[in-house]
Amino acid sequence: MFAEELKAFRRLGVRGILVQLLNFASVIASGLMMWKGLGLVTNTESPIVVVLSGSMEPAFYRGDLLFLTNPPNTPYRTGDITVYKIPGSPIPIVHRILEVRGVNRKSSKSKAAMAKEIVDDEKGAVLRAVENEPEVEQLLLTKGDNNPVDDIDLYNGLDWLERRHVVGKVRGFLPYVGYVTIAMNDFPKLKYLILGVLGLFALIQRE
Amino acid sequence: MAKLRKTANGDAADPSSSHQPDSNHSRPATRLVNVVIPASERDVVKVNNANLVDLKNACDDILKRFLSRPELFKQIHTHTDVRLALGWASVLVAAGTAFYGWKVEFETSKPVVWAGLIVYFILSIAQTLYAYLVEKDIVFVGKRKTFDKRIVTERITITSNTAPSSSSKPPAYSLSATYVRTASGGKSLLGKGKAQAARGYNEFFDENGTMDQGRFETWVTEVVEQVMQEKTQ
Repeated sequence: MFAEELKAFRRLGVRGILVQLLNFASVIASGLMMWKGLGLVTNTESPIVVVLSGSMEPAFYRGDLLFLTNPPNTPYRTGDITVYKIPGSPIPIVHRILEVRGVNRKSSKSKAAMAKEIVDDEKGAVLRAVENEPEVEQLLLTKGDNNPVDDIDLYNGLDWLERRHVVGKVRGFLPYVGYVTIAMNDFPKLKYLILGVLGLFALIQRE
Repeated sequence: MAKLRKTANGDAADPSSSHQPDSNHSRPATRLVNVVIPASERDVVKVNNANLVDLKNACDDILKRFLSRPELFKQIHTHTDVRLALGWASVLVAAGTAFYGWKVEFETSKPVVWAGLIVYFILSIAQTLYAYLVEKDIVFVGKRKTFDKRIVTERITITSNTAPSSSSKPPAYSLSATYVRTASGGKSLLGKGKAQAARGYNEFFDENGTMDQGRFETWVTEVVEQVMQEKTQ
């Protein structure tokens, strides 16, 4: 089978081979650009993620695909499901927001001290109006629905999550689709096999 | 019209069929092409004859290789080169942007990634527009310079498409050629010609999908001669 393909390649010449390689490379390039474009439009570096653990059951199970956005000037609220990344650990975590604090960036007190002074529920309405201003920063506490305790132990020493740790807010999901990614991560040979086969097809096909 | 000798396809073991290509006969107004290719030089072309795209590609390839023979025309690769340049430029921009976005943290990388994305879109749109508006169905553009009291440049452009089948006809390969003869560096126009012809794919491919290249080339020669003879001064 391959002898015919090799002969066909030799007949193509330099330009022909460049054209075939271009077909392959432009498919990859357009995929990359669509991903980057989606990230810019949703304002998050990773607009689609896969759930790896069962800490959000029964809402999300392992293998679900999640769609994220990160609206720039909208404050996060208790009950939002967020994906965040703690500096120092590479894997993002998807959990629900339990508490929110709005603190004044310019204040001389430490964030922890300010956070202790403000209680969310009582001043909820006032706080929400204030949170939109640039001097106010949001501090968040999260917990997985299926976990018995909140996430303090996961924060690597921090008391509160800051807005900049949050990758995005979950807007929608697709069940089971993420298992493909999990399989490819658990069996790296599968990833190379799939890529190799796709690459071979793209190079041999001619439109 | 000079006689053309047909070499049967697959006749590779015949030692006496090593013909020399005849030289071009030049007459004042028209040029006739007269080329015979020995069977030993050919590769067997076998395609899936249920796939129209494969059939057309095979015909296009044989046509390009035939007409770009040194005694016929010199192929002009401008369309391919533009498509390659635009395509590879957009791939490099995409790769650079993705790499930058991977190296640099998200918020700071945003303006550069936006710029890269916009450049990529412009290049992609340019590529599509070029293919749609300028290149269209062209498969071969060739040039030839001959000497006939002055230097005469001939330029031939061939487009091809597949005419779909109907209940009475098989799918056909439709060929159309445009021909221009100019002198003194393209400034004075000596003649123009246009021709169009179509033949069913079943005339060139048998049931196994093997292509009768000699027959195809003979037909192409007829079409090219026809376009070179029309409307010459």
